[in-house]
Amino acid sequence: MNPTLIDQLKEIGLQLGTNGLPYRFPIHPNLVHFSLGLFIIALIFDFAGVFFPLEHPILKSFGIPANRHNFFDVGWYNAVAGSIISLFTVAAGFFEILLAQPPTDQLSDWGLGSGTTMLLHGVGGVLLLMMMIAMTIWRGYQRFVWRKNLKLQVSFSYLIVALFLMVYMVIHGTLGAQLGAEFGVHNTAAHLLRMGENPNSVLQEGGIDL
Amino acid sequence: MFFLFTLNNQNLPYPDTMHPVIVHFVIAMVFFAYVSDIVGHLTKQPRLLEVSWWNWLTAAIAIFFAVIFGEFEAALAMPYPAAQPALDWHTVNGWSLSAILVGLTAWRGIIRIRNPLKIPFSFLVLATLLMVLVCLQIFLGSLVDWVFGLHTLPVVQATKQGLIP
Repeated sequence: MNPTLIDQLKEIGLQLGTNGLPYRFPIHPNLVHFSLGLFIIALIFDFAGVFFPLEHPILKSFGIPANRHNFFDVGWYNAVAGSIISLFTVAAGFFEILLAQPPTDQLSDWGLGSGTTMLLHGVGGVLLLMMMIAMTIWRGYQRFVWRKNLKLQVSFSYLIVALFLMVYMVIHGTLGAQLGAEFGVHNTAAHLLRMGENPNSVLQEGGIDL
Repeated sequence: MFFLFTLNNQNLPYPDTMHPVIVHFVIAMVFFAYVSDIVGHLTKQPRLLEVSWWNWLTAAIAIFFAVIFGEFEAALAMPYPAAQPALDWHTVNGWSLSAILVGLTAWRGIIRIRNPLKIPFSFLVLATLLMVLVCLQIFLGSLVDWVFGLHTLPVVQATKQGLIP
């Protein structure tokens, strides 16, 4: 949002700091650890369940007992947890993207401006959330209804869509990384530099309270 | 191999920092393993206790790569004096976590083989201590990245131009 619109937020008592947020650092990138970590590991364990004979000898050589259906348990529970936490990831992302005021005079590694990158990451994030929830529902039907009595709890079509989703996540994650690391969105030191201040002296004086 | 020695405008030999991506698989797995252990232990659900074990193991493997890339990227971070303490504490705590996490995971593996339905109270106490250190580590990492802006383009540029410190 533009500075005037952000200034209006004082109406609801939002006190924004140097990083443009009412708290010390952004929440969205921290929740992203959970969204991506849980969901990607869920997909990987479904692969591990389907291709169980490949890794079973390796685990055996380490003396680790393993059972195929437990891998599918990880695939299911991690996907459910990843989908639930992602509702909050997207909510925090929207709050912080609305408060972002990135520089307009630079292009990302992919040749995109900050506005385009924010739009793609914002809309792409909602799409990703929809796909994750749809995948989890699909996964649930396979687990409890369609493939309840089968050895392989997920179909190959599920794994192919999983591969597509992981590629999508890499592209989507890179757009998000570019917002933080290239445009310096909600980055305290980057904001200080734009204000013409020296982060070393400002942040030294402020100190960090451990 | 030549590309490895050419640094980009974020002072990295590859497009983006890898450490924050790899830590997805430590942070998420450790938290989920801890929660699954507690819920699985209280509700006596063997399934959840299996889920927690595989998540512990994933985290213990991932933390090795997190430390390796963390050290590599810290070495290229050009920290200015104000940023140094946070980076140092993040490094010390990171190495400690890797040792504690691998030790706890090995213990968890032995528990799983001996009695997969019961988690000793002492394990949960130590796991709680680990969670405290993980939270501290997330806080320190957020300082390094979001407050001090190491490997963040404008900060790297200013450092290279001598504007910081």
